[in-house]
Order: sequence, then structure tokens, then C-alpha cells
Amino acid sequence: MSALSGVGSRRSKLLFAGSVYLALIAMTVVFLFPLLWVVGLSLKTRLQVFANPPLFFWRPTLENYVGVLGQADFVQAFVNSLVVSAGAVILSICVGVPAAYAFARFPFRGGSFLFFSLLVMRMLPPIAVLVPMYILFSKFGLTTTRLSVVLAYSTFSLPLVVWIMRGFFEDLPRELEESAWVDGASRYAAFRHVVLPLIRPGLVAASILCLQLAWNDFLFAAVLTNNATRTLPVLMAGFSGGDTGVDWGGMTASGALVILPVLIFSFAAQRHLVAGLSSGAVKG
Amino acid sequence: MGGTTTAARPSSLGAAHGAGFGTTGMQRWLDRQFTRIAVLPTTAMMLLIFGVPLAFSFYLSFQGWSPDQALFAGTFAGTANFEDLLTDPQFLKSLSVTFVYTAITVTTELGCGLGIALLLNIDLPWIGLFRTALVVPMMITPIVAALCWKLLLDPDHGVVNYWIGSHIVWLGRPDTALLSVMVVNLWQNAPYVAVLLLAGLRSLPSEPVEAASIDGASRWQVFWHITLPLLRPYILVALLLRTIFEFRAFDNIYVMTSGGPANATMTLSMFTYLASFVRFDLSLGAAASWLMLLISLLLCLFFIAVIRRREAN
Repeated sequence: MSALSGVGSRRSKLLFAGSVYLALIAMTVVFLFPLLWVVGLSLKTRLQVFANPPLFFWRPTLENYVGVLGQADFVQAFVNSLVVSAGAVILSICVGVPAAYAFARFPFRGGSFLFFSLLVMRMLPPIAVLVPMYILFSKFGLTTTRLSVVLAYSTFSLPLVVWIMRGFFEDLPRELEESAWVDGASRYAAFRHVVLPLIRPGLVAASILCLQLAWNDFLFAAVLTNNATRTLPVLMAGFSGGDTGVDWGGMTASGALVILPVLIFSFAAQRHLVAGLSSGAVKG
Repeated sequence: MGGTTTAARPSSLGAAHGAGFGTTGMQRWLDRQFTRIAVLPTTAMMLLIFGVPLAFSFYLSFQGWSPDQALFAGTFAGTANFEDLLTDPQFLKSLSVTFVYTAITVTTELGCGLGIALLLNIDLPWIGLFRTALVVPMMITPIVAALCWKLLLDPDHGVVNYWIGSHIVWLGRPDTALLSVMVVNLWQNAPYVAVLLLAGLRSLPSEPVEAASIDGASRWQVFWHITLPLLRPYILVALLLRTIFEFRAFDNIYVMTSGGPANATMTLSMFTYLASFVRFDLSLGAAASWLMLLISLLLCLFFIAVIRRREAN
């Protein structure tokens, strides 16, 4: 009797594991199919793309990728995306990291108000900041420059950096700097030579998460750039205009090239994803 | 962490910077100002890109102003912009579309996200592979995700119509257009909720679940009476964040429908964008963006109050 029930429970365990795997596989298919199908389109010739019924097996071709990488527009937008994303990361790190340190270590009058304002800056709809920003930037001759996009990106990247870095600074034992102070180091020297080297992993995590947000942004770049300074998402959105006669192969190949770097960044920062996602959430 | 890092303390620092007694009054003054100097760039930046623009758009929302005028050359218009908005059927439609869109997408994202998180939380071999694969949609550029779906939903060559064997113009009909943009959004952001909730599930204490299982509780009872209540703070955070982000919905709608057909997908962000940057009625845009700000600020404060109260209890 007892042996039978043992077999039964093992069988039910196997059954449970099997149904979990089945559900997981079904879900993965649902979530990855759209992407895989579109990447498949990018590997088809023009005739194969519009074949009816759709082709599920074919000999992949790289001609679309060759075509896209030969387009000056695409290469220019790629460079612009790199420049504004890197600019936004560097600016936010330089500006935000000292502030995050101060928030973590030296409570000061007005500090919580400032921190709360940063969270609000992250939570408010970007279009609401963009309307006046566009007017002010255009009156100062900044619109259509990449600098304007970098500045605009700070509305989300600065709060993100301060939020993530404050957490890293709080986790750092206080004794480290204190002993440096006792040894006669100024606050600045202790920050630069003792604290900064220790939070390098935090800097990497914050940078990658900022890079991802900046790379994916569309709204700010769409309003603040022109044909010469537009970023990849703006270029991609241009494909959605006409519906017939659009080059699906070129469009899907461009799309794949746009998301490839961001997938690489994201997997590099996967461990820190949650901290980045919940930045701006109320906590602590 | 503390044990391994103490060794990194450079003992030569004091010597390099002159012993404490040797520092001048200037240096000591600078040292006392450390906090102020550290937060100064952030404060200046926030004023520059956040405070000043918002103050200006507040001013502008009470003005009649066109882009060819100087910054402060508009004429005072009282509340005319706001009255225009609140009598504009397109704006009123965008208010209701935004609320419907936000409510439905947030609810479905939380439901699907919780389901995915629970599945991914079961310890089985190869589960890490699924955890990695399922987060891909949320990482990719929203514009590209929306374009992908536009191709899948294409009436003539899309694979969706091929499978269901009919010719539905998904993005051309008011009912299916809103459904389509919501599905795309669900596809992209359910994994976001799943990642947040999975982190929550991983951090829950295991004792209550084990105790209940030993006492003979079924999986369902354990979930409903133990896991779910413990997970509530994480669910609230996910709810807050998704509400904030869905309220500003723009990218997928811009690519797939641009607010049409017949304003069926006209969200507040889309309306404000069209008013400001297509019709160039920037004072109306400023008024609309201030209404958006107020609504989302109210949403934030409401959620913060709820979370604070939960934490206090």
C-alpha cells in the first residue's frame, strides 16, 4: 500500500513537472514567435516575404542586411543613436553619482524633497516636459542638435542613476570612508579614491540600464531631431508611413540591427534589471 | 562584502593629502560644503530640464501664443486653452481612451505577469533558460516591437490573418485597432511585471509555505492564503509602475495607428503630440500637458498613500 502511494506521488510529481514544462514552452512560443517570425522575414528575398501561403522553410539570405548596412541614412542614424545614448549615460553618471552618494551618506535639509522631485521627474509623462522643452530649446537654437536629445534624456536617466547608485552606496560599509577621513583625507579624496573604486559594479549596472532606455527612446528624439541627427527609432518609425510598396525585408533587417545591441546590453545587466525596473517606485 | 573590501583602504591617503592638521581653512570649508557641492549639479540639471520647462508651460497654458512669437510675447488668455480642451470632443475622447487603455492593459499585464512569475518560480532543471527567453520582449525597442506586430497583423500578407483564414483590417477598424495596440503592449510588458514579481517571489520567506504544505494545504490554498498576501507589496509596486507607464502610452500607438481610426486609439500623449507638434498649437499643448501632469501626479500620490498605509499596518 505504502509502496503504491509512493509510486503515485512520484507519478504526480512527474505529471506536475511535465505540465509546467508544457506551459513554459507554450508561453515561450507565444512570446518569442512574433520576434522570430520577423527576424525570419529579414532573411527572405522580396518574393519570399510576400509568398502566399507564408513560407516556413526557405534558404536564408543576408541580402537585406547587406542592403541596410550600405545605406548612409541607416549608418548615420546608428552613429547618432550611439552618440546620444553614450552622451546621456556620461552626463547622468557625472552629475548623478555625487548626488546619490550625498543622498546615501549625508542627510541634509531639503534632501528628501530633492529626492522626491527626482522620482516625480521619472514618473511624469515625458510629453508634458517635452512641449515646453521644445519651445525653450528652439528659442535657444538647440533643437535638431544631438545635445538637445542628450539633455532631454536626463529627465529619465538622471533619476535612474541616482536611484540605483544610492542603493549601491547604502550597501557599502561606512567604516571605509570614515577611516580615510581619520587618516586626513578630505571628503572629496575619500570619495574618489576609496568609494568610487568599490562601487564600479554599480556604475556599470546604472550605465547599462541608462543606455538601454536611451537607445529605446522614440518620443524625445522624434521631436528634437531632424534628418541629419535622427536616431534609429525615429528612422524606424519612418517605415510605418506608407503601407504598400514598403520594403519589408529592409525594414525587418533594420529592426533586427536596432534591437541587437540592446539585447546585448540587457543580458549583460540582467542581474541588475530589477533595480532598474523599479527605479521610481516608492521605497525607503 | 565588508570583510573583503576593508583591505582596499589605501593607508597612504592621509600622507598624500597632507595630515589633517596641515589643511588650510579653505580646504576645511570646502570639506564642510561637500554635500552641497555634490548635489549642486543634479539640482541645477533638474531646474534646467524639469523645473524651468514646467514653469514655462504652466505660464504658456494661460496664454495665446504661436511659435513665431518671442517667448513672452503671447497674450493672456485666461483659462481659454483649458476651456477649449474640455469642450473638444477629441480631447474628451482621448481622456476616456487613455483610462480604458490604462485600466485594461494594467489589469491584463498584472494577471499574465503573475502567472508567468509563478511558473518561472518553480525550481526545475533548465528553468533559467525560460527565465532568460521570456524577458526578451520587454527589452526590445518599443518602436521595433510595434513595427513587428504591424507586419504580423498586415491584412494582406500578415501571418495572423493567414492563420485565422480571414481578411481582417486589424488596425483599420475602431474596435480591433484598440484591441491590437493593447495586445502589443501586453506582449511587451507582461514580462516586465513577471520579472518584478519573480524577484518578489524569490525573496519571500519559505517557512510559511513549507509549514502549510506539511499541514496538508493544497497548492491552490498555499497560493491563495500565503503566497498572494506576502506578495502584495510587490504587486502594488508593479501596479503603480505599470499605471504610470501605460498612462503615457505613445510609441506603439504612434507606429500602429497614430491615434486613429476615428480617434479610437487617441491617448492623451498622442493628442498632446498632435496638438503641439503637428498642428503647432503649443499653448493648447501646454494646457493639455499640464492636465496630464495633474492626473498622473494624483495617480502617483494615490498609490504612494496606499503603499505607505500597507507598510504602516
